Amino acid sequence: MTAGSTVELVKLRKAYGATVAVDGIDLRIAAGSYCCLLGPSGCGKTSTLRMIAGHEDITDGDLLIGDSVVNDDPPAKRGTAMMFQSYALFPHLDCTDNVAFSLKMKGVAKEERRRRAREMLDLVDMSRYAGRLPSQLSGGQQQRVALARALITQPGVLLLDEPLSALDPFLRVRMREELKRLHRDIGITFIHVTHSQTEAMALADLAVVMNQGRIEQAGPPRELFNHPRTAFVARFIGGHNVIEGGGVGDAGRCAVRADRIQLGGADLPTEIQVEGTVRSLEYHGASVHLSLDIPGADEFAVVLDEARYFDAPVGVGDRVRAGWSRRDVHPLAA
Amino acid sequence: MTLTAETPRPTVTAAAGRARRPRLLPRVAPYLQAAPLTVALLLFLLVPILTIVAVSFWDYDSVRIYPDFVLTNYTELLTSPVTWKTYLNTLKYAALTWAITLGIGFTVAYFLAFHIRSTTWQMVLFLLCTIPFWTSNIIRMISWIPFLGRNGLLNSGLISAGIIDQPLEFLLFSDFSVVLAFVHLYALFMVVPIFNSMMRIDRALIEAARDGGASAAQTLWNVILPLTKPGIAIGSIFVVTLVMGDFITVRLMSGGQSASIGLMIANEISLLQYPAAAANAVVLLAVVLIMVVAMLRVVDIRKEL
Amino acid sequence: MTDTRTPSNLSTGVSRRTLLKGTAAVAGAAIGSGAITGFPTIWAQNIKNVTLRQFGTGVSNLNAVADKVKEDLGFTLQMTALDSDAVTQRAVTQPKSYDIADIEYWICKKVFPAGVMQPMDVSKIKNFDKIVPIFVTGKLTPDSAIAQGTAPHTVGFVEGKDSTKFAKSPTQWMTLIPTIYNADTLGIRPDLVGRPISSWKDLLDPAFKGKASLLNIPSIGIMDAAMVCEAMGEVKYGDKGNMTKEEIDKTLKIMTEAKKAGQFRAFWKTFDESVNLMSSGEVIIQSMWSPAVAAVRAKGIQCVYQPLKEGYRAWGGGLGIAKHLSGLELEAAYEYINWYLSGWVGAYLNRQGYYSAVLDTAKQHMTPEEWAFWMEGQPAKTDILSPEGKVMEKAGAVRDGGSFQDRMGRVACWNAVMDEDRYMVRKWNEFIAA
Repeated sequence: MTAGSTVELVKLRKAYGATVAVDGIDLRIAAGSYCCLLGPSGCGKTSTLRMIAGHEDITDGDLLIGDSVVNDDPPAKRGTAMMFQSYALFPHLDCTDNVAFSLKMKGVAKEERRRRAREMLDLVDMSRYAGRLPSQLSGGQQQRVALARALITQPGVLLLDEPLSALDPFLRVRMREELKRLHRDIGITFIHVTHSQTEAMALADLAVVMNQGRIEQAGPPRELFNHPRTAFVARFIGGHNVIEGGGVGDAGRCAVRADRIQLGGADLPTEIQVEGTVRSLEYHGASVHLSLDIPGADEFAVVLDEARYFDAPVGVGDRVRAGWSRRDVHPLAA
Repeated sequence: MTLTAETPRPTVTAAAGRARRPRLLPRVAPYLQAAPLTVALLLFLLVPILTIVAVSFWDYDSVRIYPDFVLTNYTELLTSPVTWKTYLNTLKYAALTWAITLGIGFTVAYFLAFHIRSTTWQMVLFLLCTIPFWTSNIIRMISWIPFLGRNGLLNSGLISAGIIDQPLEFLLFSDFSVVLAFVHLYALFMVVPIFNSMMRIDRALIEAARDGGASAAQTLWNVILPLTKPGIAIGSIFVVTLVMGDFITVRLMSGGQSASIGLMIANEISLLQYPAAAANAVVLLAVVLIMVVAMLRVVDIRKEL
Repeated sequence: MTDTRTPSNLSTGVSRRTLLKGTAAVAGAAIGSGAITGFPTIWAQNIKNVTLRQFGTGVSNLNAVADKVKEDLGFTLQMTALDSDAVTQRAVTQPKSYDIADIEYWICKKVFPAGVMQPMDVSKIKNFDKIVPIFVTGKLTPDSAIAQGTAPHTVGFVEGKDSTKFAKSPTQWMTLIPTIYNADTLGIRPDLVGRPISSWKDLLDPAFKGKASLLNIPSIGIMDAAMVCEAMGEVKYGDKGNMTKEEIDKTLKIMTEAKKAGQFRAFWKTFDESVNLMSSGEVIIQSMWSPAVAAVRAKGIQCVYQPLKEGYRAWGGGLGIAKHLSGLELEAAYEYINWYLSGWVGAYLNRQGYYSAVLDTAKQHMTPEEWAFWMEGQPAKTDILSPEGKVMEKAGAVRDGGSFQDRMGRVACWNAVMDEDRYMVRKWNEFIAA
């Protein structure tokens, strides 16, 4: 397999008439990394991916893959390959011919291209179904074939448009693992669009949170989780409370991780403390999730270890005292 | 399953009889639901066709027909060189019309489906295609005559533009004008089903093809064309059967100088030779059915229905 | 002669059958008395409730006639116009659908033997003695020759009241009462043919390649073709109206060769087609019917119904009575037929360029100037008007072909149905398909 390529976006912009979908974003994705574009629907992540793929014209700015600007190159010349959300398998071709499609376009002889397609199907564990039509396959199987079809072009960059969204939860977790394994095995750059922060956390080397056509924050998942730059990121990533003043006076908006909050009585040792009422309670096995009504925050979540919760259980409607340390408070950009 | 086989069957009692009654309706219901259509088909399709088949074996003279069982209608039909010539001529019209309407139909449908992005414009342009259908076949046909005639608009235009000195005679009352009229009449029958097929093609497939390095032409040939085949088949069935059965277009546009099967049948009917016309109709029906079956063997259209 | 025009419809909307129920008894008694000689009759009141359904070729199915019938006779005439093929079909296959058939003599030859019509008693026809002798003896004047084809007198009479066998000489039982007839020839565009046309063979003159046309009604077209072949000296016919297979083959061989050489621009089947071909200049010489020539001229385009030295191909039509007609309706039919021959219609038809069966009565309904122009072939002394009152010919014009005697006296052949009809039609279709 070829090595991955770097992908660089420079002031990349996409406008449909007066509507701006992508608003001049800058991003550098290192060769061989796994990048997740993350955000709510309409945030511009899919437009960005499609511009990288070459299925959408670039309104402004530059797109570099490897060392060259590829704004005007057709997809096949960019060294990218795309796996579509609906998989977009050719319904009239069997799996082998679907995978062999790009080779046929290049004029590779029939025997040769079918042999290589079968090898590729082997890689995704689909050789058994080589002669079937897409309509005879399950969603997971179709996805593997789509993956094989994308990879047979030996791309430097694999683009995945919400690849797991159509699968049931169980299959989703399995495919997630397989994508990760595949990425490790073949070593090319993956750019994966998703609206699920779990998926991004699990897969990405570089997670890019987008909102309203802009990048809110780009970095390794751990950095995003521990140091969300904005309230949007903190909320979108989840597991954070966004609090005005953060309980530390005039610090502005701050984020505090829900699992860093303790509950207790007057003897609570933390620097910052608030009082509130338990609004709801959920048992999650290893942890218990509480939602509190406290002044100065719309939502206030507390995640407690199961054991800790049951040391001093509280019920819905109880008055409780919540507290956290000063070092757990992260100031957010306005 | 062996376990259940041991269970004794419930004996039919009065109670069981009562219990069975409501079951009768669900069993009969599908037949009842199918009945109106079956009756309509029997009455309006099967009975007339069987009548035609029966009459095709009757005898006739210049004024009357006589119930009989003779094969002369068929032997006269099939041994006459006119029949073969006429079939050949009709097939020629069908083939030419088919090829040209396919070309036009595919191009127009392709343009509408893939080059017009907005649904509104697609609808507007599609309706534009149907405008000629707001008038009757005959009027659309007859309108060509003053346009294509020796002193018609086209010839006088070309002459006054200095492109030709002598009027082009082949424009009217020729195979050219017959095929032209057929194409004009039936192109839409090709456009609609092909357009319909094309609109069902997932646009992601086109991108997937592009992604796989296909040029526009390769995408057309390897993706769009195969996926449009059912539409092409339906359009082809329309066009071919319409042309095979036509008589008025051939008569008007060839100036009565060319023959078609339909015209032959119409002539026989007008001369009161009903059995001969019936035999001809039976043969035509068989030929057209064979053509349709052949087309259906090439393309599976069930997905479109 | 076949002419398709808009069918007239004068249906009263009242069911004739219901009205008849009340009158049948009276009518039956009246017929029994045998005292019927013409109108006014004792049931003149009842007859107003009668509707007669007439169908036929368009030429004589005129609204004006139905209107005048209502005015003069009081009963309703409901008319349906069809082309000659359809007329033949309907006459034979749906005999109950009409009361009076307006058909041509050659159609009569096919239809009458089918037993769907009843012959008429000539003693009830007032003007029978004045009918042009062509329809009785076949001779215009005692010394003229009888033309070939289905001459009207050969199918004009049957042997008895219930016979369907045509009689060799006049009897008391007439199949059709002649109403309208004419002598047909080629129509030409004098401005475009560029030379005098004098013979049927000019139709195949290579000078008119791609500009000639022939009518595609086999039984009539074959006659025109025969006139041409005979004029060329290529074929000698025993009887052009009843050709042998060999004669048919020879004739159509010549026509097929001409067709393949591109002589014909088109073959026409309807009146309108022939008018359009001629007026658009697609065709400059073709088989044509006389009102079609008039229609072309009415557009201000020169068109001549050219007399030819070999003579004319003639056609004639008449009224026949359906077999099912009886009682009051039958009497109404006789009254209608008597009225038809009484002059008004005759004048009307003569003014259209056709000829009527009884000339004397027609003459009484025409001005001397009209009579001189139409019947005597003299230059028009005044403008000649159509029956609708439009100017058809300016003063000074002369009718193509001249007088009645010149035209009807030079009939070479009548429209016909042949013994080898079926063979001829097959060969004709081969010719069209060639």
